[in-house]
Amino acid sequence: MIKFVDVKKTYLNGVQALKGVNLEINDGEFVAIIGLSGAGKSTLLRLINKMIDITSGQLYIDDIEISSIKGKDLRMLRRSIGMIFQSFNLVKKMSVFNNVLSGRVAYHSTYKTILGLFPKNEKILALESLDAMGILDKAFIRADQLSGGQQQRVALARALTQEPKVILADEPVASLDPITTVQVMDDFLKINKEFGITIIANMHHVDLALKYATRIIGIKDGLVVYDGPASKINDDKLVEIYGRSLKHDEILGDPDVEV
Amino acid sequence: MSKFEISNGKKIVKPFNKIWIVLGVVIVLIIIFWQFITYNTAMFNLGELSVIFKQLFTPKNTILEQRTWSDYFEFMWELREPLWITIQMSLGGTIIGSILAVPVAIFASRNIFKNKYINAPFRFLMNIIRTIPLMLLVIIGVAMVGTGVLSGIIGYTVFSFGIMAKMFYEVIETADMSPFEALESTGANRLQAFSYAIVPQVFISFVSFLFYIFELNIRASAILGFVGINGIGEAISVNNLYNYDRVGATVIVLFVFILILQLINSHIRGKLE
Amino acid sequence: MRNAEKVLSRKPKRWLINLFFGIALILALFISFQGSTINLIRLASFRYALRAMFNGFREINVEFLLGFGTYRFEEGITYMAFQTLAIAFIGTFIGAILALPISFLASERIVGKKAAKIGITVITIIRVFPEVILALIILKAIGMNPLTCVIAIGIHSIGMLGRMFSESIDNMDYSPIEALDAVGANTWQKIRFGILPQVIPELASTTLYRFDINIRSASVLGVIGTLAGGFGALLLLAGSDPNNQWDTIAALLVVIVIMVLIVDSVSAYLRKKLV
Repeated sequence: MIKFVDVKKTYLNGVQALKGVNLEINDGEFVAIIGLSGAGKSTLLRLINKMIDITSGQLYIDDIEISSIKGKDLRMLRRSIGMIFQSFNLVKKMSVFNNVLSGRVAYHSTYKTILGLFPKNEKILALESLDAMGILDKAFIRADQLSGGQQQRVALARALTQEPKVILADEPVASLDPITTVQVMDDFLKINKEFGITIIANMHHVDLALKYATRIIGIKDGLVVYDGPASKINDDKLVEIYGRSLKHDEILGDPDVEV
Repeated sequence: MSKFEISNGKKIVKPFNKIWIVLGVVIVLIIIFWQFITYNTAMFNLGELSVIFKQLFTPKNTILEQRTWSDYFEFMWELREPLWITIQMSLGGTIIGSILAVPVAIFASRNIFKNKYINAPFRFLMNIIRTIPLMLLVIIGVAMVGTGVLSGIIGYTVFSFGIMAKMFYEVIETADMSPFEALESTGANRLQAFSYAIVPQVFISFVSFLFYIFELNIRASAILGFVGINGIGEAISVNNLYNYDRVGATVIVLFVFILILQLINSHIRGKLE
Repeated sequence: MRNAEKVLSRKPKRWLINLFFGIALILALFISFQGSTINLIRLASFRYALRAMFNGFREINVEFLLGFGTYRFEEGITYMAFQTLAIAFIGTFIGAILALPISFLASERIVGKKAAKIGITVITIIRVFPEVILALIILKAIGMNPLTCVIAIGIHSIGMLGRMFSESIDNMDYSPIEALDAVGANTWQKIRFGILPQVIPELASTTLYRFDINIRSASVLGVIGTLAGGFGALLLLAGSDPNNQWDTIAALLVVIVIMVLIVDSVSAYLRKKLV
């Protein structure tokens, strides 16, 4: 369970990214965060696994305030939070299997991981994560030989291998074509429903967000301006979040329909 | 190779990691090659190292001879003559060799002369010349015209030729060919098309290579003294046995000169881009 | 019309640049030949010298070349070639292994700007020493043997490779490191799973290229002393009386050209496979 209490974040260059956010996200939810670029979506996400630190306020993860966590405790926190990036962030020249297995490094001592001595059950876990994403047969191929959608699935498999409670996703499908986008979003849904993992995703495409998420958080200018079920969003609320009507590229549309 | 079976029964095989083969080969090679490296631990004297450093960079102070710091710096000043000779040889060799390299590089370029019967012999010639170390070339130069600046120039010329030819033809082959083809289609012959379409692209690289090769030649001059060539290398070989302080002074002078060259080179390279 | 004329007048004249360059070249040539006595008689003896060189090839002592018959293998030129290969190979290997951690210390993105400046300075200082000087310094400590050359080449390679390695590290894709951060990896794990797999093919290629260059250095480094290994003794012999040593020079040419050509081809082939 993740709880933001009056969280503010100001960057060193003076930019106020978040101006007082209050949020409570429960286990098992599928949350989509929408809003203009620069509204604070990325910042919000990265505060959760402490890739960025808050300037003021409190941030609780499972009732533990995380501002002062560092070192080994920080790594233990991060290993239970998976993160998916827009550009997949895989090691291109490494095999898919090794990319996925690297999700487990925080579970072992440095010496064992450097020598590649992962226990057999974790190697099986890695393979099963790949299988859950439907790409088991690609396990020992170089990561850069896969298509974009497949690479993002490798990233998902890596996150799954962490056995996380939460998966954060920063515009996970923004680099993918419309058909692959739907496939990957379906994978997110599957992970959420089958494994009960909380999903918090920044989404660029609003209709996608509405279709897959159960809860929408709208951010504008560093503040939460909408926080509620996806079913209750209407055009007025969207105008409030975006400050204008939606642009063409913020709607994915139906890939099967000829435009 | 290892086999894996996951919970739903699917099986997959992990292939051999090639890196072990590479490591194995390297280790075997090291073991084989080590047989050729003879040494005598009885002659080891690591304490000498600090002594040597002191001897290099302080004026000589032995029972037989004492020198002062002013001697030390005076020697550096005297080095300007041999340094000048080395500069002369390197300069001449770099320029003549590089100029001679240009036509050869053009003939070797697959995109200018698309005939492999023309390309191949020139490439072969380049490859052979590139393998000969500068010292051997200079020895040949001495055998031909005696010790003196000219033999050095001959050696440096052939050496620079080899380096410039290879670097230059690589640049030509990676140049943008579209203006070249456009000019050929207007009826220009290959030489004309080359001058107007390729030269502007590669000219900058050529000048940059000139400076690089000159610096390379100066660096290489340190060892030439051992075969009797005049120049700064001579200062090292002559003083090698008993006048370490002079060797140290020579090293410092060379060091400073190469540093200045490096600075000039990066400055020029920056300006050219 | 006027605009075009304006632009044309501002454009740096091509012929001016060419003229400037040409003059600079001629000036430099003039400087370089100044003071050297070009003995015309010597120049005429050029043809004689060329003929002597070709004769030198015919006079090569094959037994000496290969090391059999009246010569033991260790005395033959082929043995010297293998020794040169050994010196270059082991020297490059040592250089590469040691350059790796040093390159990390010289890479801004790993240790930060201030620490990296120290690393870069150390590398620059190592790089400026010509291998010969390093060899002379080590000579007193290790003795007159091939090991001296190995260490000299090794240290010099640390400098050269250290710089190129750190550039490769600075230029690589950082996104997987960010992902490893998010997974909870510590610095060593980030190196092992994020940096090394990306950067090793490039480093290996650079090392092979360095081996190419080191083979050429190793061929002549032996000149610091007759027992120092490689072709040193022969070079000293040839250098002391070049006019009568054409057979030695010819033998050296043959062996070195063949050896370096082989090494060059193997190295080029391997480097293609690495990309």
